Amino acid sequence: MPTVTINDRTIEVDRGTNLVEAAKQAGVQIPHYCYHPRLSIVGQCRMCLVQLDGGAKLAAACSVNVEKDGMQVRTDVPEVKEAQRGMMEFFLINHPLDCPICDQAGECGLQDYAFKHGQAYSRFQYEDKRTYPGRERIPLGPNVLLNMNRCIQCTRCVRFTREVSGTGELGFFNRGARTEIGVFPGKPLDNPLSTNVVDICPVGALTSTRFRFAERVWYLDKRPSICTGCDVGCNITMEHRRANIRRYKPRHNEAVNDYWMCDYGRETFERYETLPRLAAPRKRQAGDDGEMEIVPVGWTEALDELRERLRMAGRSAIAGSGNLTTEEAWLLAKVAAATDVADLPLITTQGPTRTIPNTHGGVSGSDAQPNRRGAELAGLGGDGMTAADLLQGDAAANLDLLIVADSDFSDAAHDPEVVERLRRADYLVVFGWADSALARAADLALPVATHAEKSGTFVNVQWRAQRFEAAFPPAGQIRPAAEVLADLLDRFEEGWEGATLNDVFTRMADEVPAFAGLDFDLPPTGSLLNVPGSVPNVPEATGAGADGGSESGTEVSG
Amino acid sequence: MAFEPILTRNVGHPEARSVDGYKKRGGYAGLAKALKMEPGEVIDEVKTSGLRGRGGAGFPAGLKWSFVPQDTGKEKYLVCNADESEPGTFKDRLLMEHDPQQLIEGCAICCYAVQASTCYIYIRGEYTEALAIMEEAIKDAYDAGILGDNAMGSGFRLNMYMHAGAGAYICGEETGMLESLEGKRGQPRVKPPFPAVIGAFGSPTVINNVETLANVPHIIERGGEWFAGIGTDERNTGPKLYAVSGHVERPGTYEFPIGVPFSELLDACGGVWRGRELKAYIPGGASAAILPGDEFYDLPMDFDQIAKAGSMLGSAAVMVMDETTCMVRSVARLAKFFNHESCGQCTPCREGTNWMELLLTRIEKGQGRPQDASLLANICTHISGNSLCALGDAAVGPVKSLVETYFHEIEQHVHDGACPYPEIRVFSNGQAA
Repeated sequence: MPTVTINDRTIEVDRGTNLVEAAKQAGVQIPHYCYHPRLSIVGQCRMCLVQLDGGAKLAAACSVNVEKDGMQVRTDVPEVKEAQRGMMEFFLINHPLDCPICDQAGECGLQDYAFKHGQAYSRFQYEDKRTYPGRERIPLGPNVLLNMNRCIQCTRCVRFTREVSGTGELGFFNRGARTEIGVFPGKPLDNPLSTNVVDICPVGALTSTRFRFAERVWYLDKRPSICTGCDVGCNITMEHRRANIRRYKPRHNEAVNDYWMCDYGRETFERYETLPRLAAPRKRQAGDDGEMEIVPVGWTEALDELRERLRMAGRSAIAGSGNLTTEEAWLLAKVAAATDVADLPLITTQGPTRTIPNTHGGVSGSDAQPNRRGAELAGLGGDGMTAADLLQGDAAANLDLLIVADSDFSDAAHDPEVVERLRRADYLVVFGWADSALARAADLALPVATHAEKSGTFVNVQWRAQRFEAAFPPAGQIRPAAEVLADLLDRFEEGWEGATLNDVFTRMADEVPAFAGLDFDLPPTGSLLNVPGSVPNVPEATGAGADGGSESGTEVSG
Repeated sequence: MAFEPILTRNVGHPEARSVDGYKKRGGYAGLAKALKMEPGEVIDEVKTSGLRGRGGAGFPAGLKWSFVPQDTGKEKYLVCNADESEPGTFKDRLLMEHDPQQLIEGCAICCYAVQASTCYIYIRGEYTEALAIMEEAIKDAYDAGILGDNAMGSGFRLNMYMHAGAGAYICGEETGMLESLEGKRGQPRVKPPFPAVIGAFGSPTVINNVETLANVPHIIERGGEWFAGIGTDERNTGPKLYAVSGHVERPGTYEFPIGVPFSELLDACGGVWRGRELKAYIPGGASAAILPGDEFYDLPMDFDQIAKAGSMLGSAAVMVMDETTCMVRSVARLAKFFNHESCGQCTPCREGTNWMELLLTRIEKGQGRPQDASLLANICTHISGNSLCALGDAAVGPVKSLVETYFHEIEQHVHDGACPYPEIRVFSNGQAA
């Protein structure tokens, strides 16, 4: 591997690494706007100018690759600093400087670099700034708004639609100082990945219609998480303010979603706001007048009651869903084993195929739930009663006890007909974060955390186990389901009380072959499971074909 | 000095536009000779001649041809740069309108030398007459068997196409031209890779100016040694077309051995018009620094001497300015051109040319501030060398010379609060009052 010296730091890099990346590896930041690791090199923002081998003419670091040994790069010489100051001035002379009303403020490339490389005063004092009258609020598509006045013409968005989404809706129009970004007539920016252009826009020119004016970004608490929109399992940053989720942004994972995520995934958190929340444990019981009434109940009493019901029941079933974490699913299976429940139907839902491009050919998923594979590995599903028996058949009518571990397993959980079918069980227990029609019909409704409030492991379409962490704790009496299930399991098997997720995962790894040898601390890119049917390390081989079914709509399977 | 015209020998002989007429006047002897030589020998002959590119950069043509890799297995291309768009340039137009076969012959020899079977002549879109003449000449050359599957019976296959631009100066930049040729937005590519390695349609490509290629038949026919004997020294050889415009009695295209003193060129044009004094001249097109007339009156007009004087030969578009010329207004007009023609891709050129135009216009209007001259100079340093292609540097050329050489005129504008030169009304026939 060739060596390269950047500001006296000599490192070895792969041949062909460009200088921006090489410098990053050496711990030197080279400022840049138009460069993006997944987009073609255009070298046009000129912010990444560096001095090469002491030469007089500066070179754009993004367009120089390390090919031979001993390249000398400097970013700390006066020539480079002067050029950076010059470029910053050029960027800012025509920029509106409307930071107080700009969504990008706080995460803006212009603000950051102006602070670091710019100067505190303007020499552009007697001229009028260039503006694009009438182009301040142009909807490029349903998700993206353009304010041309703020644009710095880096063309990242244009290249994204040409090179990543492959849809090419955006173009670079006009010339010189009048250059602008836009869509072609009658062709809106409406591809499934369109909001990514907002993420890669270094300034506030492109803003998201969903996030626009929702929050000042410096108030956002940003936590790593996983999108629950489908079984691709895009790595995301969940950004919330005081437990109000404001947006999802993609988090880089080269093996899965790379730098991208789809527009649908970005809106999935809105379900947490639109559906009513199940806030406290409650049960249905006969009141003094003999009428059934719903009353609050404490957790201990609720779990004790559930233990009794499980002990007494003649025939029980525990239904899980692909929304559960693998740990939750495994604990459910443990409870079932401890109480001789044989029927563990797994409710799954098919959605449209969603494809996220990455450098290995992309990942496609068509489950509408994030963790069908993890739930299956943990022991849900299998022989016996199927989800179809429950939801479309009359299987519940034969049950003394039915536990549905997810009150929002799909839209069917809100369907009165389905709820009525499930309600035919003698005693219906529902876990869930949503106060769905199903939860309201339950004899015992137990409030558990949303995926934003809990930690756990999802197994995506590639059979890759990925960990996510709670972004914020659940409010009030709501508890993470894994904690509740551990407490319930403790009522049958000693030693589960207060078990941490680490304990649960470690026990699971001991017992479930697919997870054998996995440490609780999964690598940041996740771990490909050794499962028959998975094709480790060849991500392109998994994908749409693996499960078939590209139709939209809800299906159920055992 | 009696100099027998070489490049312009067929000007005034309209019959030379056809293959027959051109042959009668001695044409296609160079191509016939070249096709009997090895391609490498042709390149060596051009190297011997010392021919440097006539488009502006002055890169040795033979050397450029030798950079084309022959072992890639890819198609190779010659693109002739006929996108002559800089203010004051009109030499290539003359060559195409009056001697199209000479250009076709030059292109054919170059194609043979680098073993390219396809040649595109990218012509400025406004050159409709030159385009029609070239199209006609190419058709004639096909009919006469000069072009086609069996060029002059040699077995060498050569196809030639005209491609008209759509009105952007930036498409005269070689990679911008390739983008435009490929049907994309005309904006320069990041270099390297250079076109000799990855050019048109991802293939090795030679790009030469019209005048450069027009020299080639004569080099092959009469030998590189003969060619090298013309001009000032071994680095500045051959005949050169000078497109003289501005305040002279007879503006036009003049052919001289390269390195002709400016004074001789001016005399050939009948001197400064209306008996006025020479104030300054631009030796090499809109992007060259302005030279004061008195100091550089006898400057030999070749690549190296002009570079030493702080300007450049460029495209040899000589613009002469008399004593009534306001330098600030002239440079403001040039800045307007570059601002208008900047492709908008890279930051220093997009923003810098715009800023320079605004500043210069304001100074010209008499609203300048004392600090504006140093601000202009600083903007120049920020653009210069930092832009993606040469257009940024080109835009800086005249502005920098204004600040350095005619600083006092800026000061005068600022001090007077008005332009000290009378406004020149220009009538529709182009004559100034």
